[in-house]
Amino acid sequence: MKKIIFIAGLILPTVLFGQLDRSVRPNPGQARTINIKDSEVFTTSNGITVILSENHKLPRVSIDLFTGSDPKVEGMKAGLSEMAGSMILSGTSNRSKDQLDNEKDYIGASLSADATSISLACLTKHMNKGLELFSDVVFNANFPQSEFDRIKKQNESGLLSAKSDAAIMARNAEVKVNFPNHPFGGVMTESTLANITLADVQNYYKSTFTPKGSYIVIVGDITKDKAKEVIEKYFGSWNGTEPYKAEAGDGEFNKGNRVIFVKKPGAVQSVVYVSFPEKIRTGQADQLPLTVLNGILGGGGFGTRLMQNLREDKAYTYGCYSNLSITGDGSWMSMGGNFRNDVTDSAITQILFELDNITNDYVSDEELNLTKSSMAGAFARSLERPSTVARFAYNIIKYNLPKDYYQTYLKRLEAVNKEDVLTMSQKYFTAKNCNIVVVGNEEILKKLKPFDADGKIEMLDAFGDEVKEITKANISKEVLLQNYVLATTKTTTLKAAKKKLKKIKTYQELTDLSLAQIPFPLKSTKVWMAPSKEGSKMEGQGMVFMKTYYDGKTGATTNMQTGKKEMTADEITAKQKSVGLIPEINYAASGMTTELLGIEDNNGTKVYVLKFTDGSTETFDYFDTETFMKVKSLSIRKEGDEVIESTSTYADYKEVNGILFPHTVNTSMGEMAFSGKVTSIVINSKIDFEVFK
Amino acid sequence: MKRLLISGLLLVSTFAANAQRKIDFIEYDLPNGIHVILHQEPSTPIVAVSILYHVGSKNENPERTGFAHFFEHLLFEGSANIGRGEYSELVEKNGGALNANTSQDRTYYFELLPSNQLELGLWLESERLLHAKVENTGIETQRSVVKEEKRQRVDNSPYGSFFTEMFKRLFTVHPYNWAPIGSMEHLDAAQEVDYVNFYKTFYVPANATLSIAGDLDIEQTKKWIEKYFSSIPKGQAINLYRDFINLSDADFEKTYGVAKSKFDAKDFMNSKSPEAKKLIASYASKAVEIPRTKKDTEKLTGVVKDVVYDNIQLPGLFIGYKFPEQTHPDAYALDMLNEVLSGGSSSRINKVIVEKKEMAQFAFSFNYGLEDAGVGIFAAIAANGIELDSIQKEFDIQVDLIKKELISQEEFEKVRNKIENDNVSSNASIAGVAENLADNHVYYGSASRVNKELEGYMNVTREDIQRVANKYFTQNARVILHYLPKDKQ
Repeated sequence: MKKIIFIAGLILPTVLFGQLDRSVRPNPGQARTINIKDSEVFTTSNGITVILSENHKLPRVSIDLFTGSDPKVEGMKAGLSEMAGSMILSGTSNRSKDQLDNEKDYIGASLSADATSISLACLTKHMNKGLELFSDVVFNANFPQSEFDRIKKQNESGLLSAKSDAAIMARNAEVKVNFPNHPFGGVMTESTLANITLADVQNYYKSTFTPKGSYIVIVGDITKDKAKEVIEKYFGSWNGTEPYKAEAGDGEFNKGNRVIFVKKPGAVQSVVYVSFPEKIRTGQADQLPLTVLNGILGGGGFGTRLMQNLREDKAYTYGCYSNLSITGDGSWMSMGGNFRNDVTDSAITQILFELDNITNDYVSDEELNLTKSSMAGAFARSLERPSTVARFAYNIIKYNLPKDYYQTYLKRLEAVNKEDVLTMSQKYFTAKNCNIVVVGNEEILKKLKPFDADGKIEMLDAFGDEVKEITKANISKEVLLQNYVLATTKTTTLKAAKKKLKKIKTYQELTDLSLAQIPFPLKSTKVWMAPSKEGSKMEGQGMVFMKTYYDGKTGATTNMQTGKKEMTADEITAKQKSVGLIPEINYAASGMTTELLGIEDNNGTKVYVLKFTDGSTETFDYFDTETFMKVKSLSIRKEGDEVIESTSTYADYKEVNGILFPHTVNTSMGEMAFSGKVTSIVINSKIDFEVFK
Repeated sequence: MKRLLISGLLLVSTFAANAQRKIDFIEYDLPNGIHVILHQEPSTPIVAVSILYHVGSKNENPERTGFAHFFEHLLFEGSANIGRGEYSELVEKNGGALNANTSQDRTYYFELLPSNQLELGLWLESERLLHAKVENTGIETQRSVVKEEKRQRVDNSPYGSFFTEMFKRLFTVHPYNWAPIGSMEHLDAAQEVDYVNFYKTFYVPANATLSIAGDLDIEQTKKWIEKYFSSIPKGQAINLYRDFINLSDADFEKTYGVAKSKFDAKDFMNSKSPEAKKLIASYASKAVEIPRTKKDTEKLTGVVKDVVYDNIQLPGLFIGYKFPEQTHPDAYALDMLNEVLSGGSSSRINKVIVEKKEMAQFAFSFNYGLEDAGVGIFAAIAANGIELDSIQKEFDIQVDLIKKELISQEEFEKVRNKIENDNVSSNASIAGVAENLADNHVYYGSASRVNKELEGYMNVTREDIQRVANKYFTQNARVILHYLPKDKQ
């Protein structure tokens, strides 16, 4: 970059004009110092932190309420918070939605709400009326069934239109691959929407919006005394529960680049996002130098490496940017833009090149200064909005930043040097473990293969879920089950398999488990005793968290937190259809209802999908079409309103006593994702069954 | 240095009704025709420098559409003193931000800078006006970039072509017929000389409004404007100068009958030779003819109904009416009528079509006021399974209601309050003030209208709203577009 500017400078002729030498670039005048006014902060008796940024330039005021609750993983009810947010203004026990809308519009105010905040903005002269409506909503929002039905229907239509919006599709895929089992990775789909009930919405509101730990940010034409008075008057008697608190985790880091493709028929451009999570949170020391690095790569303006390379030099696109999102609940980096079909692969090559290149050497002084000046300028410009100062105060409190964090911002920014930037790129950037999301026309698919580390492109749908394209199976379900049994028992006839299995009287499996949310290791024990006894337990730190048993007739689950629960009659009936160390061998005899759905793609491998239903649980087993080994099992259990989905993947099959057992078993259930490594399998040892009861 | 001629220095003071904050400013013309507007607002140490060129897509040759917008891109390519890519770099490295936009009526360039960099902003804009680089390298690059912009904003965006499709049918005679993005074939077909001619015609001092707002010292700013802008040649002399720097010796002499060597390359306007002096004087006295369009007078004679197939899932309905130009006295009442129909969640369209009858995912109307005509648009994305005709029927019922029944005093007050609130917020940023001042000067002939706009709305009566509904919502003369999924084709 340095070189180019130098050359450009040489070839420019000197153009003089009158006495004015136009080739002389003006020097800046004396810079005015930037003063950030302190915000006023006070706390109410019911635990609300109030932040006030007074500004009387315009006769208007804005008041925002932010919840202090942390985001939740929504799993099978993804989209619940969104639904709840769009219903908050659906009426109160005092005002129907029509009345509320009318009264709000009558004073020309804006009153809006989303999953985590409620906001009012109006002229100062209408503030009292505005606050009356605001507090009515906070205290008395009543979530009528009719509005729930309407918003649900509207969301159903919205999901349909999302299928034609490439940018939304790309964003959906991106959050899902970077943040599985994390609040960010929840994407509303037709099926999760169907799972959401009015009671869920009401519970969401009650547990999320609560005075304790929440913030009210006031900006504009109001004095501190007046602010104290109105907040006390309108929110002082608000009561609620403790806010929800949970650490969200960092997202999922890849090994090798993954290409994720979402089909958009007829597309003339592809939307490309190259992304990966980052282990950093708001306010940490690396945030500023990392932001400078992002600014140089593609964070803003026309002068960045991505923009200069992909737009100005190659004209692949109207814009190519990198986006660094650092939040209190997880962070990630994403680079990309819209590229015409025939240059999509070249664009990915260039993005990966720039991403890698910046980790190899110091950035130039010119680009470092460019980015720092541009960030300093943006900081100064942001101060024009009175809300900026209030946001600073909010961040300082919420993220526990030093009190002078923003006062010293420009000084700290000035101090960022080339060494810092290189350290950041080497610490946080990788061109080798990226999620490369491409939404576009299928004609470009074949050109994307080289970017995927294992050459298997994952196909997702508009909502970031695996595409289930099922083709008809070429064998019957009986043949499939038989082949599976023969493959695991390494035999050639069913008779031989049964004979081999008959010799096994007991089975004991020990597994090391790790779980993102739990800092210490867990151990699981699973046992089976002929003909039909089963037991399991999970322990760690000397405690047994959960144990289960089934003795052939009856059984129970004991949970450390919720106590012992006996198996229901339905559960026992279901269990009786699934007996034996390899229950599949007995399906026909035990009366298990099975259906072979067909063949689909599972991470690039063709698999048979076998569905079986026992009681209220539906299970889908996935068998490799070549080896017939079971690779995955997905079960969906309905308990009243609750839907519990759990997925287990099986890999690393090893032979024990002539039978193949998986030694890597990963299971995810809601926000829990266990990685399991089987450490031992022992056959025909003595087992103390009592420990599972 | 030339004498500063302040031909139209105005200190504006008007009574501001209600909560509207008065915007103070000064304005004057430079001898070469540039109109200058300055607004001082020192609360944050930043300044907005903008130039509005009174050229938009409506000024284009119908065989060369997309030119105005193309220039918005091209004029960042550099000038005689600014290298390729340097425009943005200079602004960014000095802590500023810049951008530009193009409509049917104007092309607008602006920089937001730390206030101590005001002089830089003035130099940058004066360079763009005096001698921007209009040549093949930049043209080639920006052609591809603009094509990508069109793919992203129009072709690949659901319903993205509705604007183009609507205007094509509402205006068959007036150049509002085509959208600012224009035709990619036209851009491809154009030669360097076409681009040079466009620059020579529309990028001249008499077609420019320089509007500056923010933390500035008025006297110092005027001195800098004198330095960088008053020295820009007047009339056709600017194009004589441009040819002097761009044409070869032979071509220049062939065109003007005077050799380049007779001119002073270091101080062109003060060239000493009598031939040069004469030529410069003669060209300076010749005004650049800026072709202007006329007000649109074409009437729609019936209902134009069409189907457009797009990559969408939910059908969309777009209804377009011809409204008067934005400066028409009825424009205020039409804006308030639009608030009744579509302003806020309690508005009639939202209440009935979206909430009560659940016919549409989104439904709204808006007015699109332009210099030579206006357009009123109703848009709705159907809820799943709803017929577009039934949405149209409901919209027609709502329009009919307003035509027949005076809106209630309460609803009227609501609209007035909403307008007042929006008006206060519209001048919250210095960038917004600079743009509003420039727009008002160019379209309404008076920058001071920024302080009278609210008054204009407050003078509208309920009867006015009913009257304009009857006058302009012509149900038997409108354009109705149905957007349907491609797979239904």
